[in-house]
Amino acid sequence: MSAASTPETRILLITTADSSYPGADTVGQMHLGYPTNSSVIRVPDPVMLPERFYLYCFKKGFDGIVVMSSGAECPYEGSYERLAKRLDRLTGVLKEQGIDFRRVKLCAICTVCAASFVREVNQMAQLLDEIGPVDRDAVVLEEEPAARAG
Amino acid sequence: MTDSKASPRDLRIGVYICHCGGNISDVVDCPKVVEAAAGFDDVVVSREHSFMCSDPAQEMIIEDIRKQGLNRVVIASCSPSLHELTFRRTVERGGLNPFLYEHANIREQVSWVHGSRPEEATAKAIRLVRAAVGKVRLLTAEERIGVEVLKRALVVGGGLAGLRAAKSLADQGIEVTLVEASPFLGGHTAQLEHLFPHADQARELMAPLLRGVADSSRIEVLTRAKVVGVEGYFGNFQVELEVQPRHIRGPLPADKLAQITEACPKSAPSEFDYGLRERKAIYMPYPGCVPEVPAVDMQSCSRCGKCEEILGADAVDFDEQARRVKVDAGCVLMATGFKPYEPYKGELGYGELEGVVTLAQFIRILGALPKDAGELEVGGRKIQSVALIHCVGSREIDGVHDPSPHRPLRTYCSRVCCSASLHAASEIRERFPGVNVFELYRDIRSYGFYEEVFERASRNRVVFLKYSDYEIPVVKAGNGEAALSVVVNDQLTGGKAVDVPVDLVVLASAMEPGDAGEIVGLMKLPIGSDGFLLEVHPKLRPVELAVEGVMVAGTAQAPMSTDETSAAACAAAAKAARILTRDEIPLDPFVARVDLSRCQGEGLCVAQCGYDGALQLEEIEQDGEKVKRASVNAVLCKGCGACVAVCPHRAIDIVGCTLDQLYRQVDGLCA
Repeated sequence: MSAASTPETRILLITTADSSYPGADTVGQMHLGYPTNSSVIRVPDPVMLPERFYLYCFKKGFDGIVVMSSGAECPYEGSYERLAKRLDRLTGVLKEQGIDFRRVKLCAICTVCAASFVREVNQMAQLLDEIGPVDRDAVVLEEEPAARAG
Repeated sequence: MTDSKASPRDLRIGVYICHCGGNISDVVDCPKVVEAAAGFDDVVVSREHSFMCSDPAQEMIIEDIRKQGLNRVVIASCSPSLHELTFRRTVERGGLNPFLYEHANIREQVSWVHGSRPEEATAKAIRLVRAAVGKVRLLTAEERIGVEVLKRALVVGGGLAGLRAAKSLADQGIEVTLVEASPFLGGHTAQLEHLFPHADQARELMAPLLRGVADSSRIEVLTRAKVVGVEGYFGNFQVELEVQPRHIRGPLPADKLAQITEACPKSAPSEFDYGLRERKAIYMPYPGCVPEVPAVDMQSCSRCGKCEEILGADAVDFDEQARRVKVDAGCVLMATGFKPYEPYKGELGYGELEGVVTLAQFIRILGALPKDAGELEVGGRKIQSVALIHCVGSREIDGVHDPSPHRPLRTYCSRVCCSASLHAASEIRERFPGVNVFELYRDIRSYGFYEEVFERASRNRVVFLKYSDYEIPVVKAGNGEAALSVVVNDQLTGGKAVDVPVDLVVLASAMEPGDAGEIVGLMKLPIGSDGFLLEVHPKLRPVELAVEGVMVAGTAQAPMSTDETSAAACAAAAKAARILTRDEIPLDPFVARVDLSRCQGEGLCVAQCGYDGALQLEEIEQDGEKVKRASVNAVLCKGCGACVAVCPHRAIDIVGCTLDQLYRQVDGLCA
């Protein structure tokens, strides 16, 4: 069963196109519940996301981020190791900014890891119940080059 | 429908909300989502439909693109794994670039997981649609990448599905490499005897197919082979195989084969007979098998040299080593089959009580009996009554069946065992009329035309006893009247406990996923929760896996009968042929792209790339100066995005999933 929904907080689930996004589909097909304050985005691999992306999410309104990678079975060469290092660096940045580093969780979710998927979301929801939302004013976001025109 | 004025940037976005019958709209307030979407920037059309994938709904979208001048489309429906391709084609038919469309999944991610919270589900659906609108605004028209197709198929698995698919492809003029892990072709079908519903002899039925494959100049057969490496991409796979030696060169004359089999002093349990009998260390499973060359089981062989004495040194090579073979293939067809579930020791008396066998073993027992045998004898015992128990290892229920320590629960129906049991029951009654046969079943699932198998068993006076889902029959030693006793609470007589004395218990055990080998991990092939290979869509793309260029056929996908397996194999071959008969195939353009106006040539991205030649610095002329800039080889790039995160100038991105697009998605989710 899902943990209690915490509408005042938001959870971002970063999923991989080949692994954890189909895993989210499996959860749906099994009609397993999880908190409604969670949202899925799909990327080829979370390794593409710079540290700034996580800070941006916190600044904009998310309070917890679960990075659902393909783990050691990642189809991309050396990608998981690079991701782990990046999140390690991110942990340092979060600490510097006074953001609880537990707000970003790295896990491995496969196409049929339905129970693990739900457990990870519920655990993050429980954590957010304990520590509450991010202090968005305290999140420092470096400027970037302007977005390209669509 | 709701219209609003287009933005100054001339973005005209159409948003379409699918009810999916009631799968979405029973939970999500779709009109509310439509209304909310109509208020998003640049949305000029916002509509809903019962089934957005239906022809009328697709025509509606096409008409809107043409008449309303839409230049971006968002569709909120089921998972994109089911209909992303469908809607890309819809958009394309409307005259829009197919990559100017974004998908929001409001079924698997909303209605199916938040069914008890409709208001929150509706709010979440609105967030997802808003995020999709945010992203679609930044999408750009893209062209698919054309790549040359290698005109060869790799078929993995030499059972019925693999043979059928290989022959079908070869008949269409396509070169095939057929890889089989065991020393002989034929798979489990070759171990069967009389197939339901028409009692055709399995090996006689397969013989022309086996011969056709063996004789085909277009099919290269590699037995004792497995995939150990895969590189490349859709249309251009480079596959490395490890081929274990056979140690015997053939073919051999029948008399020589008989001599070496007689002379070989070592034996091992016969795989062909499911361990019921022994075979020699040098062996062929049955006369007429393919290849018609015996194999040596080096784990059993003592290297005594007796076979060498008979055949001569040229025909035997004990020191032959495994070899590596490289195959270039445009597509891969997975036909790795199933394995029959072997009950654990003690499960319904299996392995503990004499006279308890699986249906697969019983078929081998029947096959070994002389055609004119007057009595049914098993292990030297005369059998006068037989109980066949259905659903052993299938349709298991948490709390009724114990998942540990033996294995996880198998909740699926193995589909074939009901008809196979009924067919076996009729065969017993028809060949040995004096033998009483009892069918202990949960539900008879002899579906479709297999109903006649059930009717035949009924006419043959097979006795049916129905047990409930929650009360499994008990098999125990007999009390003297017969060797065994099966106790069942028969639901047909109001749950009355019936003690059936029998001499033989046959367990209709499940079909388990076969061992597909390393290729599953190497190619990241999707596996379903039941452990079988998972097709993209059971109705719309039933023989394709999510990995482009990989097809699936037969019982690698799900339990199937032999005729269903043949049909699936032909379908998979047809799908593969559609690819392999083209000179060029279009790949999705979702790879890295460099913005030369931003790239400074620092090469941080190149250092992150794990693929040779996919991303490198190249000297170009820019503003009259020679400078180094990052350059992507679109065919070699895998689109992982490792390069994206490290560029301080935001000069490299993944097409269709840029950082800016992701930021806008986040904005949409948080607004």
